[in-house]
Amino acid sequence: MAQAASGRSHRKKRGTVLDMLPVMNLFCVIIPFLLLSASFLEVTTIAMSQTEGISRSGGSTANLARSEEDRLQPKVIVTEREMFLGTTAATVHVCYSFQVLDQETGRSITRYDMDSLRIKLQEAHEVLSEAYPMIEFRKVTILTEPRVRLDNFVEVVDVCREIGLDQPGLQVAPPEAFASALGGLPRGG
Amino acid sequence: MAAPSKRHVPLFLGYNKSRALLRGLDRKVELNLTSMIDMFTILVVFLLKSYSAEGAIVTVSQALALPHSHAEQRIEMRLQIDVNNSVIVVDGDPVVQVDEDLLSTGNSIPLLTARLRDHLEYTARLKGTLGEEDRVVNIQGDEAIPAILLQRVMASCSEAGYETQNIAVIKIEGEEQE
Repeated sequence: MAQAASGRSHRKKRGTVLDMLPVMNLFCVIIPFLLLSASFLEVTTIAMSQTEGISRSGGSTANLARSEEDRLQPKVIVTEREMFLGTTAATVHVCYSFQVLDQETGRSITRYDMDSLRIKLQEAHEVLSEAYPMIEFRKVTILTEPRVRLDNFVEVVDVCREIGLDQPGLQVAPPEAFASALGGLPRGG
Repeated sequence: MAAPSKRHVPLFLGYNKSRALLRGLDRKVELNLTSMIDMFTILVVFLLKSYSAEGAIVTVSQALALPHSHAEQRIEMRLQIDVNNSVIVVDGDPVVQVDEDLLSTGNSIPLLTARLRDHLEYTARLKGTLGEEDRVVNIQGDEAIPAILLQRVMASCSEAGYETQNIAVIKIEGEEQE
């Protein structure tokens, strides 16, 4: 086509317009459906292992190794005032408890320094793994006083699992038992 | 006299509406939906991420505040025991009232053990045989319950024949673990 004398092109520029209405309709159906079926709180579980002493069965090498693991497994000792880490070699003090105010209930609740536990437990796990390379240490016993709260216990389990001790067991002993067992260790409040 | 040009035709000559208005009526008014589509796309992606095809397997009682944890083991449909500071509930039935006497001693709770044993026997009769998965129990404990109560519930489960006990927790999202 010949160009106009003015030198301007007469072709019209046409912009492509996408029709977004079907997409909008689809979204308007999907979003309420997803909102209704969404679960924002995911419930998971912690598998507890049976706490037992030395394996009762057989005399095979595997069983001996298992009983050795049971004997050597670290213990996290949680009292209402402090926390200790016990191994066959020694029992070390980890931290003192402190009080925080629960925003929901307005009550003060007991908390522990989990970073200290993480560091000490990591050290103990490394020492045990180097000393006994044939044993895979996965068990840990959490020995608590009767009144220690479940959320504190769960926090300790979490720290243990981070280290690799993913088979926690719970033992509860009266405060008098702790007083006699930890008599030589520094007590605080 | 020369005829007036189109431009100079008076606006109101036998018409109710002006030509200017008539010219405007055939225009399409278009909404710019791009930003809304962007927002919806983000919303749909977020909701699809949190969508669970299995639905809610367990219902957490209003009387319980579960503890929070990084545990990732998914909960499965098993016998459920709810424990708070006032009552122990097995499969929806209140079985034991929690009081100071209950918290003062250790070991299993006879009433709870009997109830759990009955449930296991009923399952055995119903299915003919007991598999490993029938001996699993989910314990939903309030975050404020004392350790002695949890220990007594777990001891009762062991005594009744439930060898595996899972403690239900709310998964903490977003914080990466080392």
